Amino acid sequence: MADRISFHDQIQRNKIKSFLLIILIFIFFLILGYIISLILDPGYFFIIMIFSIIFSLSYILISYYNSDKIALSSVRAKPASKIEYSKFFNAAENMSLASGLPMPRLYVMDSSEINAFASGRDPRHAVICVTTGALKALDKQELEGVIGHEMSHIANYDIRFMTLTAVLIGMISIIAQIFLRSLWFSNMGGRDRDGKVQVGLILIGILFAILAPIAARLVSLSISRKREFLADSTAAKFTRYPPGLASALKKIKKEHIDEKERKKFASALAPLFISDPFKKKVSGLFATHPDIDERIRRLERM
Amino acid sequence: MITFLWTLIIAIFLVVLIFIYYFNKFIVLGNRIDNSLSQIDVQLRKRADLVPNLLNTVKGYAKYEKGIMKEVTDARKAIMGGNTIEKRMKAGAELQSALKSVFAIAEGYPQLRANENFLHLQQELSAIEDRIAYSRQFYNDSILSYNNATKQFPGVFFARLYGKKAKHFLQIPTESRAVPKVEF
Repeated sequence: MADRISFHDQIQRNKIKSFLLIILIFIFFLILGYIISLILDPGYFFIIMIFSIIFSLSYILISYYNSDKIALSSVRAKPASKIEYSKFFNAAENMSLASGLPMPRLYVMDSSEINAFASGRDPRHAVICVTTGALKALDKQELEGVIGHEMSHIANYDIRFMTLTAVLIGMISIIAQIFLRSLWFSNMGGRDRDGKVQVGLILIGILFAILAPIAARLVSLSISRKREFLADSTAAKFTRYPPGLASALKKIKKEHIDEKERKKFASALAPLFISDPFKKKVSGLFATHPDIDERIRRLERM
Repeated sequence: MITFLWTLIIAIFLVVLIFIYYFNKFIVLGNRIDNSLSQIDVQLRKRADLVPNLLNTVKGYAKYEKGIMKEVTDARKAIMGGNTIEKRMKAGAELQSALKSVFAIAEGYPQLRANENFLHLQQELSAIEDRIAYSRQFYNDSILSYNNATKQFPGVFFARLYGKKAKHFLQIPTESRAVPKVEF
C-alpha cells in the first residue's frame, strides 16, 4: 500500500521537524538572553544566561506537554459532556475505531462558525475540538468526515508540529508586546545609560513585532497543502464515504461569519483548524489551507 | 584491512537491523488484527447486554410478537454462550437482523415508539451498530495491510523466513450501514 509508506514518511518528517523547532526555540532564547545582557550590562552576562537557559528549558517543557491545553484555553474550549454531545461522541468513537487510534479527548468551543481542530503531542494525548456551530449544522456523515480529517492529522503527528509552532508564535508576539510596552525594564540598567538601554529594548520589541507575523507565514507554508489533501483522503478512507466531508466543506464555504466572531481566534491558531477561520475567500501562495473548492472537487472524484 | 573489517561489521549490523525491523513489523501488524477482532467482540457483547432491557420495554406494549422476541433472545444467548469469536460473530449477525425486525414491528405500536426508554435504547443500539461496522472495517483494513506486507517485495522474503503466510482470516463482509428506518 503506497499510502502507508508515505504516511510513515510523514510521521518521521513531522517528528524531525518538531525536534528541530524545539532546538530552534532553545537557541532563540539563548540569543535573546545574550542580546539583553549586552544591552543592560555585560557584568550580568552569566546571571542572564543562566536565567535564559532555565527559562527556555521550562518554556519548551511546558509548551511540549501542555500545547493542547494552551490551544484549547486560547479558544476558550470546554470539555464536551457525553450526554449533551452524544452525536459528537458517537462520531468520534466511530472514527477512533475506523482508524485504530485511541479515543481522543473531546472539547467544544462556543462559536457559530463551522470549524474544528485537533491538538496534542501524540495520538495518546490528542484532543479534538469542534465549534458548537459545527455540531448544530453538520449531520452525522458530515461530522464523521470532519473528525476523520482531524484523526488523520493526529495519526501522522501533524498536531505535534502545528501546535508547537502555534504556541511559539503566540510566545513571540507576547514577548514583542512586553518589550514594546515596558519602560520599567530600563531601571535595571545603569543610570547613566538609561537612554541607550531603552532604545535597545524598544528595538528588540520592534524586531519581535516584525518577526511574529513572518513566523506565522512560515508555519502556513510548512503546513503544506498536500498535507490537507492527505488528511481529506484519509478521512474518506476512514468513513468510506467521501461525500460526507465534501458536503461539510460545502457548508463551511457557504456560511457567512461576521467580523466579530472571527476575531475570537488568535491568528497563530489558524493552521490548526480544518478551514482557515480568517481568510475564507483569499487563496494563494500564502493561504494556510488549499482552496476549499479544490478540496471538494477531489473528494467528489474519489 | 581494518577499514574492511569495519565495513563488514557495519554491513552485518545493518542486515541484522533489517531482519529485526521486518520481524517486528509482522508482529505489529499481526497484533493489530487480534486487537481489532477483540474490539468487534467488545461491541457485540455490549449490544447483547442491551437486549434484555429492550425486550422488557417492548413486552409492555407488544405482547403478541412472541416469535420475534424468541429470535432475539436466542441470538443473544448464542452470543453469550459462543466460545469462539466466529460463533459470536455469526450470532451477532443474527441478532442484528432480529433487532431490525423488532424496530420494524415497533412501527405498528405508536405508544411504544413514544416511550422514552425505547427511544434511548434504539439510539444506543444504532450507535453500537455503527461501531461494529467501523470495527469490522478496521479489521478488514488490518488484514489487508498484513497480507500486503507478506506479499510485497522485500517483505515476501522475510515473511517466508519467519513463516508468516497471508493467512485466511475470518471473512467478514462489511454490512450495509443502513440503520433500520423508523419514522418518529
